[in-house]
Amino acid sequence: MRKVGIAGVGHTKFGRAEIPLVDVLALAALEALDDAGVKTGKGNVDQVFVASMGAGILNRQSSVASALVDTLDLQPAMAETIENGPASGASAVKLGYMAIASGMCDVALVVGGELMRVVTGWEATDFVATMLHPDAEYAYGLTLPAFAGMFTRLYMDKYGVTEKDLAMVAVKNHEHAMHNPVAHIQLVPNFHAIIEDEDAHVINPYVAEPLRVYDVCPVSDGAAALVLCAMDLVDRFPKKPVRIAGIGQATDTHVVAEREIPTDLLAVRLAAERAYAMAGLKPEDIDVAELHDAFTILEIAISEEAGLFPRGEGHLAARRGDTRVGGKLPINTSGGLKAKGHPLGATGVSQIVEIVRQLRGEANGRQVEGAKHGLAVNFGGFGNNVVATILSKEG
Amino acid sequence: MIVDKLEQSLRPPELDMPPYPAKYITLASGEKMVVHQVGREDVPRLLEAVRPLVTVERDFYDIVAARLYAELLAYQRYRVKNEYVLAGTIDGVIVGIVNGRMVDADLGMSYHTVAIKRGLRIGAQLFAAKMEYHMDYLGQQEVLIVAESPIGYRRWMIEYELESRPDTWHELGGVPTHVLTKALWEKHKRMKCTGRRPVSPEMLEVARKLILPSEYPQIPGFKR
Amino acid sequence: MEPRMYAYRCTACGKLFHPARAVCRRCGGREFEAVPLEGEGTLLTYTRVYALPEGYMKPWLGFGIVEFPNGLRVSGHMNTEDLTVGMKVRATVGVVKEGVGRDYYGFIFEKAG
Repeated sequence: MRKVGIAGVGHTKFGRAEIPLVDVLALAALEALDDAGVKTGKGNVDQVFVASMGAGILNRQSSVASALVDTLDLQPAMAETIENGPASGASAVKLGYMAIASGMCDVALVVGGELMRVVTGWEATDFVATMLHPDAEYAYGLTLPAFAGMFTRLYMDKYGVTEKDLAMVAVKNHEHAMHNPVAHIQLVPNFHAIIEDEDAHVINPYVAEPLRVYDVCPVSDGAAALVLCAMDLVDRFPKKPVRIAGIGQATDTHVVAEREIPTDLLAVRLAAERAYAMAGLKPEDIDVAELHDAFTILEIAISEEAGLFPRGEGHLAARRGDTRVGGKLPINTSGGLKAKGHPLGATGVSQIVEIVRQLRGEANGRQVEGAKHGLAVNFGGFGNNVVATILSKEG
Repeated sequence: MIVDKLEQSLRPPELDMPPYPAKYITLASGEKMVVHQVGREDVPRLLEAVRPLVTVERDFYDIVAARLYAELLAYQRYRVKNEYVLAGTIDGVIVGIVNGRMVDADLGMSYHTVAIKRGLRIGAQLFAAKMEYHMDYLGQQEVLIVAESPIGYRRWMIEYELESRPDTWHELGGVPTHVLTKALWEKHKRMKCTGRRPVSPEMLEVARKLILPSEYPQIPGFKR
Repeated sequence: MEPRMYAYRCTACGKLFHPARAVCRRCGGREFEAVPLEGEGTLLTYTRVYALPEGYMKPWLGFGIVEFPNGLRVSGHMNTEDLTVGMKVRATVGVVKEGVGRDYYGFIFEKAG
């Protein structure tokens, strides 16, 4: 198999886009192509993979990859649209990796994007819930926040995680986002105000007990893009490509209630194990991580399942400040889904953009000094389809 | 000032209205929003603050802002009976405005809620403040409410479980009327309404500056 | 007819499932028979959701995951306000979502006893 690297990255400002989905995708794609020094026009990009969960439903547009190839003038590149729930982005990266590793092509463009703010918040919540089991979950009005709330209660009872721990994760990620110009929310919540103040229940009310507004990611529009290349072609690109060292993916029961141990995120553990094995690395080798914090509790739980901290101690690491920039193992330096935003299909790609920036030393105020290996965990369903990706700095 | 007889006959007879005591709320950002009742002399500032939103279609800002604009004028020039206006300010900068009026001693009429700054639940806090005014300070039994935007419907009708009373007439027109009863207010106010009193004279002085916002999240690239 | 909820028993090995599925997790069997799923169970976890999705005109709804004595775990609505993990609940069946031209039935749990 050929080694595969990332030669260019692009990322739109997450938040509210005032332009159509394909235009948002194109913005990120062009930034990535320019960053990689890859020209548009025939023959420069072999394949295009576009991740979007909601294009068909939210934007009433299907086959967005075909549309993107056209507007970018990349014909006759091969192209497909990938839907794997909120893990669509990392799935698209995995497929891009496979296309190059297999020898089928040399240069692939991977773009993830979503336009969610065309609908109201509760319609978006309903849309995201369509990935749940239609009869046993969705029909009840169960949603991702509902499962996250029930998971959080179990986690609190079992491991002693508190609402303050969760608020600490939120504040940390919002602080990180202040150094990331593409982050949606440019505002740091005040720890005392959102959790300790006697009015905290009003200004930071419960969304799905025990999770509050500031435990939940916002609804965002945006896109992120990568140019993948065969590492044997590294001389073609102005910046030294960051290598995709390992990818792991795993699935778990579709119906959340059927999980044997309800506090386990088995698919996260297996996906991470597979990625470490492929990369020949161990959790101790990871210098920086982007973990799917659609809810603050998930950053803690994923950090444990991915082996970064012992089971039940992720919140203690957060308390110690290990997971902030400057700590032992900074997590979600981009601001995470919590503060950077979570345009579903964009997220998995966006996480990898952040790791590339960290490994290149381009992360400015949020830079993790000397980072060599980074991990991204992109979480689909309520943990029933998870992709872990490990990137390594070459040389 | 002597008001001439014709003008006097155009002005509605007003009921006594105890003032709304100012309060401050610590927002999620840690910033303190002061909510205070403004007077007629403040209306020109508020008109300036509202005017840019009159053309923002998204989230029905245009309808709400245009109507609020007219209501502010009517208040300033004595063309509505017993109207009141509350302003939310952070460091003196206007971040939101709510208004309404007394119909009679027992009945209130809620007009509009405009949040200029977004993402800190300012609209929800200001709406709660005006319900607090009607119920806890004016001592009213019911407030008639309509919503013009889906978000308003969600925030008021559903979250406060407002009683639907489609046969009752609301001054804003055709939107089915909903009612906040005293009982519903008592049920929901603990989770909806907050704030501290008194506001220090220094803080209130800053709030009364009513500084115009320099940016509007609803209007990218806004320049005054 | 009174709506009921069902478990699905693998005709080959007898293992129970809810909801219905194509292949038995234990033996690979592909045939199942429906058996009523009802009675009392234990509440494993719960939440009260305030940000309900499109279609609900309520300020909040309670949800929980309940384990039946036969080991099956299901999600459902909680029709009681004082909830504690480990409490006994009783399964009832009712409309959990009103749909256009069709209502959806599911578990609505009440405090047992």
